[in-house]
This record gives sequence, structure tokens and C-alpha cells, in this order.
Amino acid sequence: MKKIVIDPITRIEGHLRAEVEVDENGVVREAYVSGQLFRGIEIILKDRDPRDAGLLAGRICGVCTNSHFRAAVSCVEDAYSLELPKNAEIIRDLMAMALFIQDHVVHFYHLHSLDFVDITSALSADAKLTSKEAHKYHKKPFRNSHSHYEDVLEKLGKFVDAGKLGPFSNAYWGHSAYKLTPEQNLIMISHYFEALKFQTNISKAVAIFGGKTPHPQSIVVGGITSVADMLNPQRLNDYLFIIKEAKDFIDRAYLPDAKLLAIAYKDEIKAGVGRANGNFLSVGGYEEGNKKLFDAGVIYNHDFENIASFDEDKITEEIDRAWYKNETLDNEVEYTDLNEDATLKTAKNDDKYSWIKAPRYDGRVMETGPLARVIISYKKDNKLIKSFVDEFLASTDLELIDLSTSIGRNATRAIETSYICEYIFKLVSNLIQNIKYYDTDTWTKFDFDSLSKDAKGRAFFEVPRGTLSHFVNIKDAKIENFSVIAPTTWNATPKNFDGIRGAYEEALVGIKIEDTSKPLEVLRVLHSFDPCLACAVHVMDFGETNLHKFKVDAKR
Amino acid sequence: MRVIIIGGGIAAAYLANNFKKLEPSVEVTVLSEETYMPYDRIHLCRLLDASKTTADISLHLDPMVKIELGQKIIKIDKKAKRVFSKNSMFTYDKLIIATGSIPISLFNIDAISNAAVFRNADDCQMIREGVKEKEVVVVGSGPISLEILETLNEMPNVSKITLLVRAKHLYSKHLSIDAIKIIDDCYTNGGKINISYEDEIVDKVIENSQITLLKTKKLTIQNPFLVFGVGIKPNIEDFADDIRCNKGVLTNRYMQSEDKDIYAVGECAEVEEFGFVAGHVKECILESDCAISHILQKDLKKFELDISVDMLKVGEFDLVEVNSPKFTSKYEKVLISSKKDSRIDEYFIDDDKLRKFIGINSNVDIAYVESLIESEEKVDIGYLYENRLLGERGRLICSCENVYHQDLVDIVKQTGISSFGQLSDFSQAGRVCGRCKVMIEDVIEDSQHLIDPNIPIKNPEDIKREKEIQKVQKRLDKFNTLNPVNKLSTKNLQAAMDSLDIAKSEVNSWVSMVTANMQLHPNFEQVVDTGVTMLNKIPIIWLELSDCSGNSEAFIKSTNPSIEDLIFDYISLDYHELLMSASGDRSETILEDIVKNKKGEYILIVEGAVPMGMDGKFLRIGADAKTGVELLRECAKDASLVLAVGSCALDGGIVAAKPNPTGAVGVGEALQREDIINLPGCPTNPTNIVGTLLSYIMFEELPALDKFNRPLWAYEGRVHDNCERRGHYELGEFVQEWGDEGAKKGFCLFEMGCKGPYANVNCPTMKFNKGTSWPVQAGHGCMACTEIGFADKFANERVYKEDEK
Repeated sequence: MKKIVIDPITRIEGHLRAEVEVDENGVVREAYVSGQLFRGIEIILKDRDPRDAGLLAGRICGVCTNSHFRAAVSCVEDAYSLELPKNAEIIRDLMAMALFIQDHVVHFYHLHSLDFVDITSALSADAKLTSKEAHKYHKKPFRNSHSHYEDVLEKLGKFVDAGKLGPFSNAYWGHSAYKLTPEQNLIMISHYFEALKFQTNISKAVAIFGGKTPHPQSIVVGGITSVADMLNPQRLNDYLFIIKEAKDFIDRAYLPDAKLLAIAYKDEIKAGVGRANGNFLSVGGYEEGNKKLFDAGVIYNHDFENIASFDEDKITEEIDRAWYKNETLDNEVEYTDLNEDATLKTAKNDDKYSWIKAPRYDGRVMETGPLARVIISYKKDNKLIKSFVDEFLASTDLELIDLSTSIGRNATRAIETSYICEYIFKLVSNLIQNIKYYDTDTWTKFDFDSLSKDAKGRAFFEVPRGTLSHFVNIKDAKIENFSVIAPTTWNATPKNFDGIRGAYEEALVGIKIEDTSKPLEVLRVLHSFDPCLACAVHVMDFGETNLHKFKVDAKR
Repeated sequence: MRVIIIGGGIAAAYLANNFKKLEPSVEVTVLSEETYMPYDRIHLCRLLDASKTTADISLHLDPMVKIELGQKIIKIDKKAKRVFSKNSMFTYDKLIIATGSIPISLFNIDAISNAAVFRNADDCQMIREGVKEKEVVVVGSGPISLEILETLNEMPNVSKITLLVRAKHLYSKHLSIDAIKIIDDCYTNGGKINISYEDEIVDKVIENSQITLLKTKKLTIQNPFLVFGVGIKPNIEDFADDIRCNKGVLTNRYMQSEDKDIYAVGECAEVEEFGFVAGHVKECILESDCAISHILQKDLKKFELDISVDMLKVGEFDLVEVNSPKFTSKYEKVLISSKKDSRIDEYFIDDDKLRKFIGINSNVDIAYVESLIESEEKVDIGYLYENRLLGERGRLICSCENVYHQDLVDIVKQTGISSFGQLSDFSQAGRVCGRCKVMIEDVIEDSQHLIDPNIPIKNPEDIKREKEIQKVQKRLDKFNTLNPVNKLSTKNLQAAMDSLDIAKSEVNSWVSMVTANMQLHPNFEQVVDTGVTMLNKIPIIWLELSDCSGNSEAFIKSTNPSIEDLIFDYISLDYHELLMSASGDRSETILEDIVKNKKGEYILIVEGAVPMGMDGKFLRIGADAKTGVELLRECAKDASLVLAVGSCALDGGIVAAKPNPTGAVGVGEALQREDIINLPGCPTNPTNIVGTLLSYIMFEELPALDKFNRPLWAYEGRVHDNCERRGHYELGEFVQEWGDEGAKKGFCLFEMGCKGPYANVNCPTMKFNKGTSWPVQAGHGCMACTEIGFADKFANERVYKEDEK
């Protein structure tokens, strides 16, 4: 057995380390992933005015920026049983949905695509053949003229000749695991550059109602502040225009590229590369009439036919192998350090090795994210999403189970992005209806001093990377405890004493690494989850590892 | 403090004015033994021929300076700190002696009516009155004599002049025979002047206080008028008993004498360390600056020997002398002369280094000669030869400011000035020693016809800015040659821009925006543009420590970001965990490579706080699992510049908010350094990051910073002052609750807890995400995220109370 350490894992948010043990054939037999940064935002939130939670907790992450902002405010609203005006809910959703689109596109092209796309190979592409190739995945591909590809080729050539690749340097170019043809590589590179522009424009959509992004600043307990923007028809029109442009790119570039990858790497998909343990969790959300954008539910062991309903009481958090004290009431930090050779301490089943705590659902390790949402919503016959999934599977000749792989996860992201655009148009139309009929409320009035001094609240949201939950415990009108379980907390969880692997670790086991000095395959698996480490690391501070207790125990 | 200055010349006036300028509370009194207000002795010749009066050449004096005329100081009481004239007494806290020098005469002429020296206005009057219809005898071969000679030569009622020269040379014993011949010819061609070399006075007859007969070795002259121009000596006779003197009053390099409250400046002082007595205006001014700095204990300045430049313009010839303080008579000389042009360049070289230059009717660029002397470079004689001919700039006019004929003509053409007075806005030519003032007036007058009324004239700011831009351009060029490692040229950048389909117009508008944002004039745009393409020459490490990647995210998406992205690529962003392709070992190799092989070249950008608790182990990075602070120290050690981006990097930000669980601090504190540039914000506006990089590259120095090391151009303005809702504040129109009528109308958010009054940053004008919005526009208000401790103080929606914890 040979141990490979990969640190830093780049093209993700935050400080993630992976250690895999491979056998003589290069097959991964065991894996450990570890969060390497602890900040303790929840400790900082203690003893503060609950109304300040949003601005501070929003800083948990600059990538998932408005997700935490909103969830923190929402759990405080939940504690005080504040109902939001419809408009405020819609504006918050519009910001959230724009973030979905931006996150997924940036993830696919800028964070992940270079695991599959070889920049240097694209240089030998033929522009005409490239144009032809693109037609296989869409009848009107995005910017598909010969001359455009020739331009890209010429400029790429100069760029490579200049010998200074900047962020593209020192990658695994030429690795045997790169399977795309030069023409396919060229299509993807062309879109990589387009997507740079794309993500700047889509950010404007968040900023129209959020003031800025990252770290928008327009959500307050009881509603939103950007009422003047909401009532300005030009702002709403700007927002819609951005989404329309985005949809064009998504339909004609992003989704076809996801198909291209799925077809080119079909062997890997069929071999189940990157498949985790098949336990999926979604809390659902985002209303549309009597329907929801995402359905809630729980699936175990890839058993798609039996979907249990989601029960928040079944969520627990463990810290057997995370750097917190097991026995004391306030689970304080207990850093047991690394081995002398700077590797993770993992020899014994009670060795601690990560700052990420271990959330479990019904005692089990879960996977959360676009894959979980798409499968659960699809199997629950969600009308909004079903046709998108069917179309993708038909045009790539895949089955639903195939999506539970590294490349499949990317496919579900693309599918999700596509139908979110449709959903946004409905949201905007609802907003316009409200305003048209003189409902311009954006804030629910409350008198903080007359609210109950002690209260508990929680908020569950599906956000781009999966299920996000915030919990607050208010005592004497101050935050007594605050807790966060983020998508990456679920997916990048360490093991417990039982040794059962989390989604990241499980997905890594069984993959074959061609060249252990260039562990590209490991990056592919990890990137497919879109890790976000700033979000993932949270101290828990409830005295009981069981969140259920937190909900019922009035003392704490 | 009461400062007394004894003297009535340039040094005294300069001292008095500068005391008032630097510290108006100082009480300054000037005591002059003359009966005229201080005047400029450089122009004494103008009094001689009565073309000017003392009022014309008087020196400007600050109206708050007290001046007492006719006060010849005869005694200093050091103990009581008093000085005495015949009839008055003055007390001082600090005394400065600036009495200049006195002329030397070869015998006592006090009682003689037809002999004079040449030092003050009274002397001039005496000579002017006395020379009428007399044969004038001038004694001495130095610059002073030559000037007197020139002036007398032009006076109509003087018909015959004899110059007595003791040795064989004129001006300087170091001059070549050819050079002396040129000077001699200039004087003697008119027939009025006779120069008698190797001659001196041997006898005289004095009757009734008149010299009636003068006998020299070679000549006998009846009823002459005698003028001594043989030299000067420090004017210290009255103090020699009170203060330690040698040639002059002995001082240290702050011009302080043995008595700590007495200073001496100018020709009367002798810097003991160098045995140096000043002979030029420039040196007197430098000495004055040193004395002032020491007395006020402000920006202390020590006197240094410097290169001196002398000029003599007489009739048809001009002479320039540039002198190194290291000049000795041990030299070899290179002579380049042209009989046809009456031109001689004399280079005095010692050990391959240029130590002195004297040029007669020379075309050589004096600035170049000075730099050659200063640098002590090996002299290339071939190059000197090539430089002998007239350059594009024409003749040197002002040696103090290195202003040439064509420079002045250009100023006149561009600015339409018509007088010497107006010139001061554009150039100090003619204002330092003032010798060339008349020539300048002539040039201005002669160039008037060149002014094109159809061309818009430039104001002083325009000209200054042009000079600045030229300077920046030079730095950029230099930068290019210094950093040839990165082969990406402007050409490739252009190609890449094309590949991203960015129209040039878009680039232009972006450049305009950055330029405006940096508070530079639009004329800088071209340079900013070049600056942007220059960014790719610098390797950049972007280190994420205890952070949320918010600043990285902002950097890749806001403010015309497609171009920003491009810059992102082209600043050679070699190490950035969020974007780089390489992972694990391979990314670490990149980092090591830059840190080891590009010492002093790369820029380090740090995002996030630095956790110091638990030996820094709250954050570990890389296969060796270095702690965040270890990695930071390694990367920062040899970085040419460290930028702390975001509020966490400033002071720990949210991560260091109470109770600061990980002991987080800002980058400056973690490194214990005070030269870290902070660009706080949550997130920082990317334009401010790019702008700071640009200003570093363009000006090769840090931008002006405030007390928190934030660049003033981005962090000087108060949010409240530039806020779009400020008008409502003035009118008392406030949002009272979220979503109310005021909120719909965009009223002021102060009562909803806006912290704009406590925040200093350019958000109101820059906004975020391509100028889409900012927190105040979104109806929330500012939370002063650019300020120290914002998470504990300002991150809420309540009105801030100063006494709140």
C-alpha cells in the first residue's frame, strides 16, 4: 500500500487535504479527506443580538455567499415565527437562483473542466471539424463558426507559445486519462473563455437586489431592504435580460458540453467511477404555486423506488474523529495534530483527522447536492424537472443510476441550471403580479423588545452544493448557540468510530490511479462534489451531539 | 522661539522666509548693516551701470519677518543670548550669522576717493560716479573682475580700461591657453580694454585722498580709477573673538557653531569636517536648509558636499564650469576645441573619472555632465566628442535649473507667457542664482511671434502633468528592461484580448474608469493602459489564509470583470488556489519556484486572517502541512510588495471578532511589519486591487497611505460625504423602518444604522459588480467593513453610539 497526499486541493473554496492509500495496481483502497482550517464563526456569534446573525454568518463563505446570509436570517425569523411578505420571499429566491446559475457554471468550466479538458491538445484541433462536432450536442451550438474557432486556436497558440500559462501552468497536460479529441477540447476551451464573461454578468443579477456580490447586504430579519430596486421596472428588466442571456448560454453551451463529456467518458460512467454509497438527502424547497422546485426526500443505497420522507429530527452530529473534545459539554477544540511526517493521524479508529464534523441522518452517512435533488425530484415525479432529465438521458443513452458518478454529478448540475432558468421566469412573473395589484410590502413589522426573550429556530435550504441548515438558540434576547451544517459538511464528513466513509471518501475508493505522481483521477472525483471548505467547518456547541436534543431541550 | 539672523543677502532672506514658511510661530528678526532692504548681489553689475535700482533687485521677504536696517553687530553675549549694535541690543533664542563675505583690497582704500571694491550698492554708486572720464584700472582675473570689466566696457562714459592680471591666465589657472585666448579676444576686440598679464601695482602717489599716479610693473597711469576685484573673504571680523573661527565661523554639518544656539550659514561659515566655505547660491541655500532643519528639529538634514555649477556670460561668450567636490589639481585634460566656433570643452579627468568640466561657448548638456561626475562612470572620450555639437535644445541658459534655449521657447509657445513673472508657474529658470534672468527675458521677448493664437495654451498643471507622465513612461520602459523573464508582450496581450472578444473600446472605458478611480488626470490613461499590460511582468502569489474566498470571488467577477479576468491571467497569477490548474505537489512546486527564484520581484497578495492561536495550527496548507503563519512568513520575506486584501487581512476581520477563538490577527501584525499595504473591504472592490498594483508599477513606490496603510486614492473619501442619499440627510428625510415610503423613495438610511459616516472608502462612486449597485443603493446602508474591528462595532442595523462597547 502506498499513501498519496494531495494538499492543497486547488480549484475549490478553502483548504482541503486528501490522503489515499493505493494498492500495487494503483487502485484506491482507503481514503481520508480533511478540512484544514478552523475559524469558529459560531463561537463568534454567541452572545450577540440575533438580528446581527445574518451579516456575520454570511461571512462564513464568499462563494456560497447569500446562502448563509439568508439561512442565518431565516432561522432567526423561524425562532420568532415571523412570516415574510411574499415579495421578500421572491426577492430572496431571485438572488438564490441567480447564485445557483453562477455557481454551477463557474464550477463546471473554471473549477472542474480542466480535469477533463487538455488545453494543449486543443491546439491540434481542426476548426471545421470542431464546428461539426458541436452540432452533435445541439442543433444551434453557441458561437460555432469556423472563424471563431480559428480565432480561438490562433490566440491559444500564441498564449501557449508565450510560455507563460499563469494559472494553467504545471497541470497534468498530456495525462493518459484525458480522453477528449482535440476538437472536443477546443469546444470546451472556447466555452471556458465565454464562461468568464458569463459569470460576471450573472453576478450583476445578484447585485441588482443584493447591493453587491459576494456578500450581498439586503436581507434583514423580517424581509429585504432593496424595495426601491424591486419597484424600479428597469431593474427588474435588467435582471430578466441577464437571465435570458444566461439561458441562451446554458442551453447552447453548458448543457451540450455536459452531454459531450457524458458521451466521451461513458466508459467511466458505466464503470461507476466516483459513485458514493447511494444515500441521498434533499430538504426540497422553492415554491411555485402548489408545486416545489425541488422535492424533499431520503434515499438509501441507490434504492430509487423507496423514497422516505425527510424528518429533521433524524439529523445528528458526531465528532468521534473531528478535532473537538468528545466528552465535555461544550464540545471544545481538541487538536491532536498531525503525524511527524505531516500526514493525517488515521491509524486507529479513534484518531482524529479533520476540522469537519460528522453529520448523520438516521445514523447514516448521506450525500447531498444536485445529484440528490435531481434523483429525488425525478422519482417523485416533479413535473418541473422530469422532462429535462429524460431529455438528457435519452440524448446521452444513459440511465438514472449512471448519474450517480463523478461525471453524472456534473450532468445533474447542468440539468438543474437549465430548469432553474425556467423557474426564474415564473418567479419574476409572480413578483410582477404582486406589484401590479399594489402589494409592495417587503418587510414584516415587528417590535424586537416585545418578542420572546428565549426562542429556538432553524432553517433548511437547498443551495447550489446541497442541503444547508442553520440552527439558532436565543436566550435573554441574545444568541446562546448557533450551529451550521453545510452541504460540504455532509459530503466531506470524516469517519466515525464505525469507520464508515463519507461521500467523498467512499467515492474515491475503488478508482484506479494511472500515475501516482499525477493523481488526476482523485481530483476528478473530489471536484465533482464542488467542495466548499469554508462552509464545511463548524464547531458544534450544543452539549449534546444529537441535534434532536437541541430542539426539545428548553434549557439549552 | 526668537530667531535672529545677521546679514542682508540671499542667505539671510532665504533663512527668514523659510522659517516663516515651515513654522509660522517662530519670531524672525533680520539685522542688516546696510541701509537697503536685502537685495540680490548677483545682480550688482546692474547697479553699476544704473540699469537697475536696489529696489529692482531686492529680495522678497515674508511680511511677518522683522527687519532692522543699519544695524552692524559688534558684539555677541553668548551667555545672556544677546547681540549688540552701536545703539541697540537684541535678544535671541537662536542666532544665525549670515554676514557673507567682504572684498579684499590690496591696500587700505578707506580714505581714498578714486578706489573701490565691488561688494554692495554703495560700492556700485561710488564706482559709477568715479569712473567718469577716467582711465579705469581693474585688478584681478577671477569671475568678479571679468564681470566688472564687461559692465564697464558697456558704459559710454568709460573710454579706457586696463585689467591687471598677476599671472598669465584669466578666470582660472586650470584653463587652457586656447580658452584664455578666446576670453581675452572677447574683451580686447572692442579696443577699449587692455589686459596686462604678469603685472601688478608696484607704487602709487596719493594726494588729497586721491591716487594721482599708479605704477605697475609694466605701466604708469595718471589719475586712474582703481577697482579691486581680487577676491573675497568671510565677513567674521566682528565675531572672531566671540566664536571659534578659522577661515569662517566653524560649524558642524548642521551649521551649528561651538555654541549650541549660534549657527552660521553661507560665505561666512566654514563646515569644519570638510574645511568648506560656500561660494555659490546653491550651497548657501543648502546650508540654510540644514540649519533650519536642526533648529526646528524637523526632517533633519546634514550638509553634504555637492557638485557645483558656475556660469559666466560676457558679451559674445559664455562659460560653464561644473565642479566635483573631489576635484584636485591631479588631473589629465581632454580638450575639444573649435576655432571656427570659438568653442572649447575642457574635461578634467582623474583615474578615468570626470572631476571638472569647463566649457566655453559649449553645446554640452550640463545635466549629462553632472550625472557623469556624480556617477563616477568611466569616461568614454568618443562619446564626449560626439556630444560637442549643438543639441536640439540649443544653448544652456540656466545652469541652476538646466534649462536650455529651446526649452524656454517651447514654454512660450505652449503657454503663451509674455513675461519673466509668468514663467515662474512653469519653470524656476532664472530664479535660483538669477544670473541668467536677463537672458531669459530676452528669449521670452524674442519668442513672442512664435505663439500661435489658434493653439490652446497650457496651464501650469498641464505642463507638470506632462512631465510626470514622461517620468512614468520612463519607469515603465525601465521596468520592461529589468524584467525580461516574462515573454508575454503587449502584442500577446492584445491577442488574448481578441480571443476573449473584448472590444478595444471596452478596454478603453475600463482604463478610463481605473484612471478616474485613482484620481489621476485623464491624460494618464495612455500610461495606465501600458501599466495594465505591464502587470503581466510581475509574478503574483495570491495566498488564501483564514478566509472565505470572498475577495477572490469578487476579483474574478466584478467591475468589467471579463477584462479583469484577463488581467488576472496576465498579471501572471502564478499561484492562486481557487483558479490554478495544478494541485498538490505541483502547485507547491510553483510556489517554491517563485519564492526561491524570483526574490524581490514578486508581489504577494494575502486574503484572510492569520490564526496565531495553537501555534498557528488552526490552518495548515500543503503536503508539509505548514501552518498559515509559517507559509505567510516564507512568502512575504522576499516579496517586493505585500498587499493585504479584505477586512480579515487588515485586522483579522470577522475571524478575529470577539472572542477571537483562533487568535486571529491581520497580516501586518502577523508579520510584525508596518509596510504592508491594506486594502480592506468585505469584499474589497477589485478595482482598488488593480489600481494599487498599477500605481506601484507606474510610480515604483507605494501610493500615499493613510494611518491604516490604506491607499488614500481609494480610502480617503468618507462614504457619508459621497453618498447618493446625502441630500436626504441634509433635508432630514430618513427611512424609519424597512420597506416604508422613505425606503421606496431612497431616503437617508442613517437611522436604520447606516455606518457611512464612519467608513472611508470609494464604494459610493465605484459601486460593485460592474457598477450595478452597492449596499446603500440596495436600501440597507453601509456597515463600514473597511474599518478596524468592523465586525464588533459596525456589523449591525443599529445607529452607532461611540460609547457602545
